[in-house]
Amino acid sequence: MLLAQAPIMTDRPLLRVSKASKQFAPALSFGDHIAGWLGQEVDQRIVHAVDGVSLDLHRGEVLGLVGESGCGKSTLGRMMAGIYPPSQGTVQLDGVPVMGAGKKPLKTTTRIQMVFQDPFASLDPRVRIGETIGEGPLVHGLVDPANVGAYVAQWLETVGLPAEAADRFPHQFSGGQRQRVAIARALAMQPDVLICDEPVASLDVSIQAQIINLFLTLKQTLNLTMLFISHDLGVIRHMTDRVAVMYLGRIVESGPTLQVYDHPQHPYTRALLDSIPRLVTEGDELVVFKAIEGELPSPLAPPAGCHFHLRCPFVQERCKTVVPDFSDHPSLPLSGRHVACYFPIS
Amino acid sequence: MSRILLEVEGLSTHFMTRNGVLKAVNDVSFTLHEGEIIGLVGESGSGKSVTGFSILGLVDPPGKIVAGSVRLQGRELIGMSEPDLRAVRGREISMVFQDPSTTLNPVLSIGTQMRLALEAHETLSRQAADARCIDVLNKVGIPDAARRLGYFPHQFSGGMRQRVAIAIALLNHPKLIICDEPTTALDVSIQAQILLQMKTLAQDFGTAMIWISHDLSTVSSVASQLLVMYAGRIIESGPVRDLLRVPDHPYTRGLLNSLPDHASPGQPLVQIPGQMPSLIGLGAECAFVSRCNQSDALCQTSPALRSKGARRVRCHHPVAGDWQ
Ligand SMILES: Nc1ncnc2c1ncn2[C@@H]1O[C@H](COP(=O)(O)OP(=O)(O)OP(=O)(O)O)[C@@H](O)[C@H]1O
Ligand SMILES: Nc1ncnc2c1ncn2[C@@H]1O[C@H](COP(=O)(O)OP(=O)(O)O)[C@@H](O)[C@H]1O
Ligand code: SF4
Ligand code: SF4
Ligand SMILES: [Mg+2]
Ligand SMILES: [Mg+2]
Repeated sequence: MLLAQAPIMTDRPLLRVSKASKQFAPALSFGDHIAGWLGQEVDQRIVHAVDGVSLDLHRGEVLGLVGESGCGKSTLGRMMAGIYPPSQGTVQLDGVPVMGAGKKPLKTTTRIQMVFQDPFASLDPRVRIGETIGEGPLVHGLVDPANVGAYVAQWLETVGLPAEAADRFPHQFSGGQRQRVAIARALAMQPDVLICDEPVASLDVSIQAQIINLFLTLKQTLNLTMLFISHDLGVIRHMTDRVAVMYLGRIVESGPTLQVYDHPQHPYTRALLDSIPRLVTEGDELVVFKAIEGELPSPLAPPAGCHFHLRCPFVQERCKTVVPDFSDHPSLPLSGRHVACYFPIS
Repeated sequence: MSRILLEVEGLSTHFMTRNGVLKAVNDVSFTLHEGEIIGLVGESGSGKSVTGFSILGLVDPPGKIVAGSVRLQGRELIGMSEPDLRAVRGREISMVFQDPSTTLNPVLSIGTQMRLALEAHETLSRQAADARCIDVLNKVGIPDAARRLGYFPHQFSGGMRQRVAIAIALLNHPKLIICDEPTTALDVSIQAQILLQMKTLAQDFGTAMIWISHDLSTVSSVASQLLVMYAGRIIESGPVRDLLRVPDHPYTRGLLNSLPDHASPGQPLVQIPGQMPSLIGLGAECAFVSRCNQSDALCQTSPALRSKGARRVRCHHPVAGDWQ
């Protein structure tokens, strides 16, 4: 069983996120413009999409990232992939920043690749997929022009597609096959780290199983290191060694996946786990699920102190003013549990 | 048992495409009682949405309802004149779509949109209309509803926009709401809130619902009956718990087995091989035959829908025996 061979936690992580934050000044939407013309107030504040996150990714592990929509998962994933520069803090691969410095920083490495949710939007409809997969490796000298055909065929085979697929266009593939193409494109760059943002969310249940199985195989055969972003807690439980739970821009809890699922310590993690409708039946009864009380606060104006305090059943005075952040705590081993809460559930 | 609200019988909707006749919905029958929530599941392209649209009479050329009957409290809707149908839509039956932006107009405040929806069916004073709007917004869990009547759609989050769309569907106290994947785009915790609210609404108002989704777990947490569709046909149906405990059709069994919950973490999931056949030129064989691990020579003929109590299955070799 896979869990027996849990990744070795060395002191030096492959990818290290240190106190990284990302703010956006949202551009006005069409609706905002109309509201503006109609004389309404338009919010022009800053979105705190990611707020002081520290996170390590170790070689050979699959780390899950879960949380409600808008909590900052994709933004964190994009910073880790070197697509967004952090506003504050750093992201380092083997000790080297993944993005250069300066006003318009560029990604400095091809060792991190990303797979996106929507296999329809992420492939250029006019380009044959052989070209899509071969282009990056050619540009970066991973393969020479004479061998690119065989190289592409090899990666197509790895993701379970026939070599002839190279001559076809994206519209000739189903959703699940397109996601395989996107995975092949990322893998052909021979990355050390694969960042997957909701890679199965847009697929049907029966196709999801095929893609999840592909990831499980790749993980073993290629010893891939992955960040796996999903809002599907069942998929995360199945796929990942470790999980980080995000709430309104911050990691509130992290630890080995099964430990976190079986004994959540942060009140938000527990509420999130209780809120999933599950099919698993206990005896005759369908397991009852509970909704989390209240709304996700706006990332335009996050509450002070613990971000969860407006919805937390255990809130005390201290929670409302001082941010619970123990990520620098010296007694916390890297592979252990991390809980950003004053009153964790024991 | 409460009274029968909707009877769908032998409903078939076809699209006359360039490549041939696409049989999107094929001989679909089911009965819905007042206040009952029925779940309609199946993979993408299996005909769920077209079934919903057909009930509302919203099928445009090249699509056509080619056969069948849809009776709402005994009144036949198929063949009804467009003005009569329009009176039914919105007042007696309403629909919530997957994407709330198809229902909400970005340049009108939601108060204006809701009043327009009300005025389409009755005359009310401004005060009475506002009271009704505030009431339904509260019902779907939008706090501070009176002030929010002045809000425009973009001032709500995705989850709240979907709730506003549901509130509009509730406005005229319809007897039936067809919800087409209303929570698929939302994340788990908001889904949970909306599911619970819909369930309560069905109980409190006796509103019946058809809940369309490809996600078995959300459907089974709201519905009491389940219809499983495959390639335009109902291939299995019955009470949710019964059906989930012992699915009788190889496809339903395959779907359930492929969920991560049914494998231990890290182990390969059981997958259903292959994909759904094209709905153009479906042959005489069982539509699932190329993916089925139970098939034999008999499966070259299309199986009829057989029933046993409240359960129905369309398969020559259902798991449990003793089918008529
Ligand atoms: N380019 C941008 N400009 C302005 N705001 C942004 C931008 N990208 C993200 N945001 C905002 O940052 C916050 C976090 O967004 P992000 O996409 O990371 O969320 P997420 O957790 O991936 O959500 P989902 O589950 O819906 O994909 C949101 O409030 C979002 O609106
Ligand atoms: N306007 C249309 N023209 C032609 N074919 C259509 C049209 N609408 C739906 N279909 C076809 O009908 C079948 C069922 O579609 P649909 O009911 O939308 O599936 P589901 O909702 O189950 O995903 C599909 O093959 C789809 O391509
Ligand atoms: S810090 Fe306080 S408010 Fe925040 S989760 Fe813990 S108990 Fe709740
Ligand atoms: S009729 Fe035959 S092929 Fe079709 S589902 Fe049943 S056993 Fe499988
Ligand atoms: Mg995202
Ligand atoms: Mg649909």
